[in-house]
Amino acid sequence: MWGYSGGMTCSGSIGNVVSRVVLGLGLMFSPAARIQAQQAQEVVLEASAGSKLGIAVPRPQVSGLAEAKATGDFHEVLVRDLDEAGSFAVIKGHVPAATDPSSYKGWADAGTEWLLTTTLTRAADGSVEVVAQVVDVKAAQDRKARTAVFSKRYTGREAALRRMAHKLSDDLMSRLTGQPGVASTSVVFVRQLSPGIKEIYQMDRDGANLTPITSYKSLTISPTVAPDGRIAYVTYKGGAPEIWGQKVAGGPHVRLYPVAGKVEGHCFCPVWSPDGRRLALVQGDRRGNTDIIVLDVATGKVRRLTDSNCINTDPSWNPAGTQMAFTSDREGGPQVYLMEEDGSNVRRLTREGNYNGSPAWSPSGSMVAYVSRFEGKFDLFVYKLGDGKSYQITTGVASSESPSWSPDERRIVFTSGSRGGMQLYTTDLSGNTLRKLTALDGCQSPKWTRSR
Amino acid sequence: MRFVRNLIPLSVVLTLGIGVACKKPAPAPVEPPKPAAPAGPTQEEIDAQKRAAEEAARRKAEAEAEAARKAAAAAEAEKAAAYQRAAAAALKNINFAFDKSDIREADKAKLQAIADFMKAYPQAKVQVAGHCDERGTVEYNLALGERRAHAAQAYLVGLGVASDRLTTISFGKEKPLVVGKDEASWLENRRDEFKLQ
Repeated sequence: MWGYSGGMTCSGSIGNVVSRVVLGLGLMFSPAARIQAQQAQEVVLEASAGSKLGIAVPRPQVSGLAEAKATGDFHEVLVRDLDEAGSFAVIKGHVPAATDPSSYKGWADAGTEWLLTTTLTRAADGSVEVVAQVVDVKAAQDRKARTAVFSKRYTGREAALRRMAHKLSDDLMSRLTGQPGVASTSVVFVRQLSPGIKEIYQMDRDGANLTPITSYKSLTISPTVAPDGRIAYVTYKGGAPEIWGQKVAGGPHVRLYPVAGKVEGHCFCPVWSPDGRRLALVQGDRRGNTDIIVLDVATGKVRRLTDSNCINTDPSWNPAGTQMAFTSDREGGPQVYLMEEDGSNVRRLTREGNYNGSPAWSPSGSMVAYVSRFEGKFDLFVYKLGDGKSYQITTGVASSESPSWSPDERRIVFTSGSRGGMQLYTTDLSGNTLRKLTALDGCQSPKWTRSR
Repeated sequence: MRFVRNLIPLSVVLTLGIGVACKKPAPAPVEPPKPAAPAGPTQEEIDAQKRAAEEAARRKAEAEAEAARKAAAAAEAEKAAAYQRAAAAALKNINFAFDKSDIREADKAKLQAIADFMKAYPQAKVQVAGHCDERGTVEYNLALGERRAHAAQAYLVGLGVASDRLTTISFGKEKPLVVGKDEASWLENRRDEFKLQ
């Protein structure tokens, strides 16, 4: 269902959402929001379009393997990975049929800088070898020589073809930018199975390999993933909400909070600290107010960060674990605030709009993504701490919620659609390469993670 | 068993009847008539009669006890049904304005009815579940649902209901009542539900 020529591949009402992202700027905004949108367009040019490297990815040479398999599980996966990586422009259209040195001029004329050739060979024992090679066609032309800038072999079972494509994409990103790509990452999220029954699921970041994490046949929500892959979440399986998850990587799921016995008020919204040792979470009091507390998972000790007569929720750590963004209605409606990790120095981050929430601190610490409500629906915004300004990421007729950053900070996974039919999408910060990941009954609270 | 018991008095009657029928057509006064006493019921027959009488009394008592039990059970069922009816009549959802947890003027009578119900039925324990419409974030709505549940709890305590008879829970926007995308549906979803524990 995915083409490779941009983000315009969705259908139905979601398609309208998408088209508004790209085409509909300004149609639905108040003047203030329109300015934000224009700023977002500038960011697009500065962040992505200007510096993408043209890469051509001809179909692989295949031996001992079904052509359809090589196409569906490798070539298409690879092209999509490179498209979404953010630093490549995959060359389409009229390109040479050959890939030998005599064809380099034709490739270069089509805009190619890197020509990526792959061969897939299935051995007698069933393992598949992928040989990938990149030629800088322009340099090769200038020097009249074949100039390989990348060459690598991958082997694995046939079932691991997708994974090998992801790995190749990540290696090419690493070769180009010095930073590892995120093609091999995954997304943990909440999937609705029937009304009131929700479970935690995990899938590859391109939507493949959907796998259940919990099966309580209950209401289970709000997942969080530690850097080592440990999951925590809220489940109502015992009646009242409790926080369950893993104390050790790969270990059984146990109750993490309340630590023992009964605690007055309910708990919600666990979020692992960057060091994976603590959980920020939300604890209700006897008056219905909610505060952010921090649980040391090993000792069971709890420290309270906020103590006010209002709602405090949605904690999001900065990457150093020294500060937190959160949502509070202390000044009336919900707004995003920042505070130190000990609860001191609370300051308000969002100023525009009367309903802002779901802050997500970016992996480098320089940005906070959040959602802002306007005319009954949410859109994604990114607040750049450096210049103290917000930029609008999505605009559309549907509500876009629950942002979570890719580990390389180039994309955001979020939910969008009409209620009941909320699906997962990823987008770059320009909204130009929007991708739909799911077609399920209802998805929420995605968390993008390197662990899988 | 019951069938066998019924046979006993019947056989006694038959025995007596046959005795009378045999004596009537005996005209020959060969022997002077003897007093009837020795021809009366045998000791076994007397015992059988006695047992039968006792049995009848016992069965009557049993039937009466059964009837009493049934009446009591019916009364109990009626009482339970009345409790459920009263609960159903009293435990009506209340609704909230967007992003608000204040008890609306229109809902105060409903809360009074819940308080009256809980006073009339001291055994009643009620869970207050706070819910939200779809137009807020997942996490904020969980907190808002918590506050809505507590708002009703506090109001009921203010009306004299002991706080330990009321528990709260929040489902945020996770369990909408209706699926519509209009203000009427959203209002219906922004609610507290009251359930017997």
